[in-house]
Amino acid sequence: MLSVLLILLASLFFTGIIIRTKSLASGRKGPGILQPIRDVIRLFRKGVVYSETTSFVFQLAPTVYFASIVMAMLVVPFGRTAGVLSFSGDFIFFAYVLALGKFFSIIAALDTGSSFEGMGASREALYSMFAEPAFFILMGSLALLSGHTSFQEIFASLHIGSQISYALAALATFVLLMIAMIESSRMPVDDPKTHLELTMIHEVMILDNSGFDLGLILTAGYLKFAVYGALIVNLFIGVIPYQYAIPAFFFIQFMMAFAIGMIESFMARFRMSHNPQFIVVLTSVSLLIFFGVLLILQKFI
Amino acid sequence: MIHVLLIIFLITLFYMAIANRLMTYIKVLALQGVLLFFVVFIQLSEINPVNLALILLETIIFKSLAVPLFLSYLLKRNNITREAEPFLPNFVSLVITTSIVVVNILIATMIKDDHLDKIFFVVALSTLFFGLYLIATRRKIITHVMGYMVIENGVFVLSLAIGNEMPILVNLGIMLDIFASVLILGIFMNKIGDVFKDVDVDQLSNLKDY
Repeated sequence: MLSVLLILLASLFFTGIIIRTKSLASGRKGPGILQPIRDVIRLFRKGVVYSETTSFVFQLAPTVYFASIVMAMLVVPFGRTAGVLSFSGDFIFFAYVLALGKFFSIIAALDTGSSFEGMGASREALYSMFAEPAFFILMGSLALLSGHTSFQEIFASLHIGSQISYALAALATFVLLMIAMIESSRMPVDDPKTHLELTMIHEVMILDNSGFDLGLILTAGYLKFAVYGALIVNLFIGVIPYQYAIPAFFFIQFMMAFAIGMIESFMARFRMSHNPQFIVVLTSVSLLIFFGVLLILQKFI
Repeated sequence: MIHVLLIIFLITLFYMAIANRLMTYIKVLALQGVLLFFVVFIQLSEINPVNLALILLETIIFKSLAVPLFLSYLLKRNNITREAEPFLPNFVSLVITTSIVVVNILIATMIKDDHLDKIFFVVALSTLFFGLYLIATRRKIITHVMGYMVIENGVFVLSLAIGNEMPILVNLGIMLDIFASVLILGIFMNKIGDVFKDVDVDQLSNLKDY
């Protein structure tokens, strides 16, 4: 329960901090931290306009997408405290419930009949297909290392001891952060600020959504970031008592938002053709994590 | 600590597989020299001054300073364009490099030998095969030298895998190899650069007798 509350709180500020960092880096004052939330509230008050070419799938999809993120949020633990749902193998549930939401947003984009949205859907499917092995090899290695198969048990029994496990923690943080960036369509892979349909990935898929549905999709995006942030936090806090763990949670979330803002300010988006190789690098790095885990476990000396 | 350094060494191979520019290759080669120095420095059980000086000469001076500087001088002198021009897309390179590492890990788990340090074995063999791959798939001649340097690094790591002390003869041999190969190919390149404007592997076939 604690993790859900913390994720909700963090998601209120996360996107605002990214936008504020980007504004400050480019010499502007920028909107307030809560501006994204105000936008979403304004959208929630509006009605919805549906195109005549769409079917019920298009109307269903934003709700399913939002619900999938909320379901995924329920299994994320916080240190020793389990999430609302916790069972063995819940990291597979986590990945595939997110994939279900993504599937619905893809078929909704195809449903609109716009050629741009179909292109965006194809790209989104390709990139998340490449990112999936990285996540599973990473979580599988952590499961092998700790000998447990649920998020809460894995994170509670991770303890950083030798130097190689420091290296593994750094690599795992890198991989998780990059997966978060890919899944939430941020900078190195996708530019949220672009307004040319040919270069958009996630944004082009939600062009036809309006009002309440758009609000749901945006909220889901904010929550998704905070969920991945919470996973990264869990790598570090382990069994630390709450009075330190909760400030650490907000500090790491803040640093992550800050880092993303800096990356977006100072880096250009990759060329579309370079994206797949960038994402497969994550798989290669997580294979090295697997290799390191085998070394720690003395299965490989 | 050695394991961390060796894992970083493997990551540099992945980076090399997807790098676009020749200068990036040179920088990665220099970084690999520094990494190797620290690996040897930690690995050596006893340090005597002669051995240390030799290793310092080989890794830092040769691998990280002399050869990269010489290669970048060659790039400038012959006006070689900065792209590496691989035959295969970078994506395929990355997949092949990853599968090289995986296959080597599988091979290493099959070996039942207590004397062999297996992480060294994996890193060494992966580096060797990656060097061969680099030579085979890049269009320019100068990338052959770089691939050769990568293979040298692999041999260096392999010599560490066998025992705790670096045999001085192996060291000297490696050093001579590096020196000769880089120098010969460098001079060769300079001469070719004077005659032909563009240095391409395909044009080497024009050099044959009729």
